[in-house]
Amino acid sequence: MPQYALVIDLNTCVGCHACATNCKEWNTQAAFGPLSDYDPYGREASGVWYNRIFTYETGEFPETQVFHLPKSCLHCQDAPCVPVCPTGASYKREQDGIVLVNYDDCIGCKLCSWACPYGCREFDEADKVMKKCTLCIDRIYDETLPPEHRQPACVLTCPARARFFGDIEDPNSEVYKLIKERNGFVLFPDMGTNPANHYLPRQETRINLEEFEKHILKPDNPLFLEVMRRHHTSSKAQAQETPQEEVTHSEELP
Amino acid sequence: MHPPISLIFFFLTAGTSIGLFIFTYFIEFLTLFGKGQGLPKEVVLVSGVISLILIGAGAIGASFHLGHKLRAWKAIKRFNTSWLSREAVFSGAYGFTLLIYLVLKYFEVSPFLEHTFGIITWILGILSGFSTAMIYASNKFVLEWNTGITVIYYLLMYLMLGSSAFTIISYFYNLPYTGTFLFLTFLFVLLGLGFRIAFNVRQFYIKRPTLNEALNLPHNRSIRVIDKSSTTDNYCTTEFYYAKGKQMLPTFIPLAYLFTFVIPLFLLIYIYVTDVVNLPLLVLIYLSILAGSAIERWCFFVEGNHVQNLFYGLYPEEGYKLRKGYMERKETRISIY
Ligand code: SF4
Ligand code: SF4
Ligand code: SF4
Repeated sequence: MPQYALVIDLNTCVGCHACATNCKEWNTQAAFGPLSDYDPYGREASGVWYNRIFTYETGEFPETQVFHLPKSCLHCQDAPCVPVCPTGASYKREQDGIVLVNYDDCIGCKLCSWACPYGCREFDEADKVMKKCTLCIDRIYDETLPPEHRQPACVLTCPARARFFGDIEDPNSEVYKLIKERNGFVLFPDMGTNPANHYLPRQETRINLEEFEKHILKPDNPLFLEVMRRHHTSSKAQAQETPQEEVTHSEELP
Repeated sequence: MHPPISLIFFFLTAGTSIGLFIFTYFIEFLTLFGKGQGLPKEVVLVSGVISLILIGAGAIGASFHLGHKLRAWKAIKRFNTSWLSREAVFSGAYGFTLLIYLVLKYFEVSPFLEHTFGIITWILGILSGFSTAMIYASNKFVLEWNTGITVIYYLLMYLMLGSSAFTIISYFYNLPYTGTFLFLTFLFVLLGLGFRIAFNVRQFYIKRPTLNEALNLPHNRSIRVIDKSSTTDNYCTTEFYYAKGKQMLPTFIPLAYLFTFVIPLFLLIYIYVTDVVNLPLLVLIYLSILAGSAIERWCFFVEGNHVQNLFYGLYPEEGYKLRKGYMERKETRISIY
């Protein structure tokens, strides 16, 4: 059974909120909109968003890292939000695994949002129904769009190209390969929801700075003089502390 | 969790309604086996009509919780998967069969039909209470609620409300059941107290998930929330984390205990010791349980912590601190680094 999903690369996501903004933009005008705003020009502006970006810092100083986590509905394969819905308004599509809400049936009881461990559903106070990411179902099947545009709005807009869309059950798909090759993981694996959206973990990159220095110290580097001057002063200071060391580094420079 | 006032109202009205009917019909039921003399017709009708009005008011009140009240009937569609759907079906059916039972009783059509509908109503009432409790107890993501204690305590509260209300009726009509129901009220309040304490104590021992688990990070990696994606509150923060309520909780939990258990128990013991029973005293007991239950339900919601709060850094850590070593023992599946 196909299962469409998003795969998000945490290495490249820069937390620019472009996906969230474009999601809001697209879905406010499209079939599943509008996404209401409350008090939009006031001090406490808030509203419905399908996609929110969280930023976390891990580790202890100075070994810290910051990463951004875009979170929209994960289209869980065992979505707990579906069976609790008393009206059947929340449902998971057989043909592509997308979880949707039928606004005409939703009575706004909010139970589905209680049943989602990820906080991915939001109640629209203006329309009085529950709303959530639709995986841009109105784009991906829209045959009036050029094929390369039949993708979720957030994927198309991501300037860092951190987002991928496809069928994670299809071994030939890009997303399937990415998950396999780069150890794609899911949020809250212990909750038994089996989310479809995956995240690609951060990978450590080590840069050999000595190698690097050779390049930056080329005479045509605009910073050459500056580097030379600093190097010179520090070597001099060092030489004064340890007079027996005669050779100064500046003389060795190319 | 944010406490919805309409649901607290439903709890009080449905609780009194179903509790009252459980005892009213139970006395009638015993006559089938030749035990007791049953209740005077007038008492059954008065008690039944009160129950009917209350469940009706409760249903209307609860609909205020819904975004689309006129679509409420659609809630019956997913009976086989949704506890909310079951609650809607059972409480609706309870009200309906209760009405038929009262009509049958009023016209004295046939004792057989009367008892048939009495028994059906009785069962539907209990199923309705059970389903409501299961909406909370079956939620795996609010760990405070996700326990059998929630269900048992919920039903006990229905019995507390019902028996204390029935004591008033019994005394008012000078029935021979006042003593029995004073004892039953005492018993249910005492059991309720036990289960409420268990509910509160359990919260300290829950194995709570951590943000590391939510983000699938190694368990020994410290992590801080830096940006919650929006500068103001949003649906996720207001619905699942009621900041003002959390501050008031230390005041409201003792109040809930005081009104639900301490005052009623004190008054009941006073009645035993002095042998003085009068209407104001019985009404006071019922009202105290009623007010206490309202506060208790409010606390119940505010005490509930939804795991989605982890992403916002709004999840309690007490549980984690109490179980040192738990995180280290857990296996890490995928490392981000
Ligand atoms: S992320 Fe939440 S809303 Fe989306 S399918 Fe899973 S449980 Fe349902
Ligand atoms: S809020 Fe709407 S979609 Fe969610 S459970 Fe209630 S009826 Fe279903
Ligand atoms: S898939 Fe579409 S609806 Fe979902 S987060 Fe992306 S833009 Fe929004």
